[in-house]
Amino acid sequence: MFPWIDGFHWTPTHIIFLSLFGAALSAILATAAWGLWRTLGDFRKHLAAATCWRENFGELPAVEKRCRHELAGRLPSRQCDHAFDCRTCPNYDKFAALPANVPASRAGVSYSDNLLYHRGHTWVRGDWDGTFAIGLDEFAKHLVGSPESVKLPEVCDEVESEGIAWTMIKNGHKIRVRSPLAGTVISTGGPDSDFYLKILPHSQPNLRHLLKGPEVAGWLAAEVDRLQMQMSKGKATLADGGTMMPDLMDAEPGSDWDAILESTFIDR
Amino acid sequence: MSETALVDRRWIERGAERASTMRFLLWLFPWVCLLLLGVYAAGLCFYYGLNQTNMDNRFAFGLWIFLDLTVIALGAGAFFTGFLVYILKQQDLKPVLNSAVVIGLTCYSGAVAVLMVDVGQPLRAWFTFWYPNTHSMLTEVTFCISCYLLVLVLEYIPVLVKNRQLRRVPSFLVFEHQAHKLVPVLAGVGAFLSFFHQGSLGGLYGVLRGRPFAYRQGFMIWPSTFFLFILSAIAVGPSFLMLVVATAEKITGQKLVDFRVYRKLGFISGVMLAIYVAAKAIDTYVWLNVTSPSMGFGPWDYYSYWPLSSTFLFTATVPLGLLPAILFIVPRTARHRGLLLLAAALTCCGVALNRFVMTVQTLALPTLPFDPFLKYTPSWQEVATFGAVVAYGVIVYSLSYRYLPMFEAMKGE
Repeated sequence: MFPWIDGFHWTPTHIIFLSLFGAALSAILATAAWGLWRTLGDFRKHLAAATCWRENFGELPAVEKRCRHELAGRLPSRQCDHAFDCRTCPNYDKFAALPANVPASRAGVSYSDNLLYHRGHTWVRGDWDGTFAIGLDEFAKHLVGSPESVKLPEVCDEVESEGIAWTMIKNGHKIRVRSPLAGTVISTGGPDSDFYLKILPHSQPNLRHLLKGPEVAGWLAAEVDRLQMQMSKGKATLADGGTMMPDLMDAEPGSDWDAILESTFIDR
Repeated sequence: MSETALVDRRWIERGAERASTMRFLLWLFPWVCLLLLGVYAAGLCFYYGLNQTNMDNRFAFGLWIFLDLTVIALGAGAFFTGFLVYILKQQDLKPVLNSAVVIGLTCYSGAVAVLMVDVGQPLRAWFTFWYPNTHSMLTEVTFCISCYLLVLVLEYIPVLVKNRQLRRVPSFLVFEHQAHKLVPVLAGVGAFLSFFHQGSLGGLYGVLRGRPFAYRQGFMIWPSTFFLFILSAIAVGPSFLMLVVATAEKITGQKLVDFRVYRKLGFISGVMLAIYVAAKAIDTYVWLNVTSPSMGFGPWDYYSYWPLSSTFLFTATVPLGLLPAILFIVPRTARHRGLLLLAAALTCCGVALNRFVMTVQTLALPTLPFDPFLKYTPSWQEVATFGAVVAYGVIVYSLSYRYLPMFEAMKGE
């Protein structure tokens, strides 16, 4: 194998043969090492959450990738190809200028015009001191009701945009909630509080990726439709038009909650 | 739904239709039994030595080497499909790429496992790397197979971490993302390694000067069997891939890939098989009329022993070679799924028969006037170990099918 090993000869056969295989083996090991190095690099540069999010987004079915402008009735049909990150979408301004066409009553669940909403069913509220409060929206609250346990990050922990902000356990299901913003946690709340997290972003955040106004109504209406479809699998369904009942996970324990929660919190 | 079934369900791709946990366990049960029997038999070989087999110093290659040669040829779909998709950009074959990787991984790891038993001294297996005989085709085979197995493991990891639960681990998902970008490099290295070890497996027979039945002339240091093994492996790889996917479709009752993928795989198999049959015919003609007579052997010296008569040569070349090539290539027959799969099955049988002939017939035939015609029947330990490799392949493929996104069509709703 090597010149200092018994049996090695300085002959062309030995040198060519072993060099070729040395090169092949080095290429394989270097490829594996390069993959690991880049993985570590993503974590070091805080890009891991974004990478995971893009991978997750890629796995979403087409119906769950609908653009906010379609949901707001501005466009007949459009799929998002920016992983719901409107900050990087070159068409955002053009589409946002179009008139929205969704009545607020369509939502099927209440929402506030003063809050900004993330597609992972959290809301964001900017406070006077430059911090941002994050909470679960009404849709998610109706679904989960009272979680059995909540695991929040510690104060001073960093959360990444689209990374997992906190987890909840409900009826044996682990629910992972995505953070709509990146920043340092300065205060934690919980289900009984007004908010779950309060964070201080590192710089003035661009909130363009969060939904607001009629977009929220259209999006929530689509989410209610999706929930109805998922809960009625294999069963007869009634016409819609009502509002969501509270604590659905307890009320309908037989539904495929793994699938429903994955869709709701975009955690495939 | 029981708690176990619920937990099992959580590992299955969202929206994918799978058998119930109980049915799946029942399906696995006989295969696990076969695997355990084989592991026991291999344990006997490790503990007591190779006297547990019916091989001896004169019949040193038996059922296990036949198995190795066959599964490595059948697993060639992995490198060839990877080469077609990543290097030649044949994206329409992407739906079967993961399946090809799993087949390749099981074939190669199964072959390496059996070789470890066959070596007889597994604790000294590293000698082949540390003290390589660079003039031996077997050394090249060992180096290439070991390196390529590493490639297959690296190609399998991104498929594995796409599992519904594993991809929840951020580091796995990020590694999968990064590894995916590097797969073309692995595909290129894999093609290089496969090309050489498939060839060297044939070459190791072709250089046997003391065995006129196997000895062939060739190009530079490579006998013609070197090239014939490469061609036949490239031809049979896509066929075996088709057969496995079609079997999975039949067992699960689901349509996994579009028929156009079958046709494309069939066409590739057919063209390569036609080239192989033509090359094999020329090789046989030269061997029987030039190479063999120059060593004092005529065709009757090889084909007058029953049951290893000329029927094998004819069967491997015409009904299991030329016929499937025609079925694959002629559009009228290639349009029929049944005929396409029949051709794939014939191709696999043809290559298996070729490997059997090269391994068993080569050693059975006498080479000296006082030599008898040797007979060899594998012991139950050899057969059980053989069965274990088959069972291992079925189990790994079944588990991968159940828990990993093996086919594009299987992605959730």
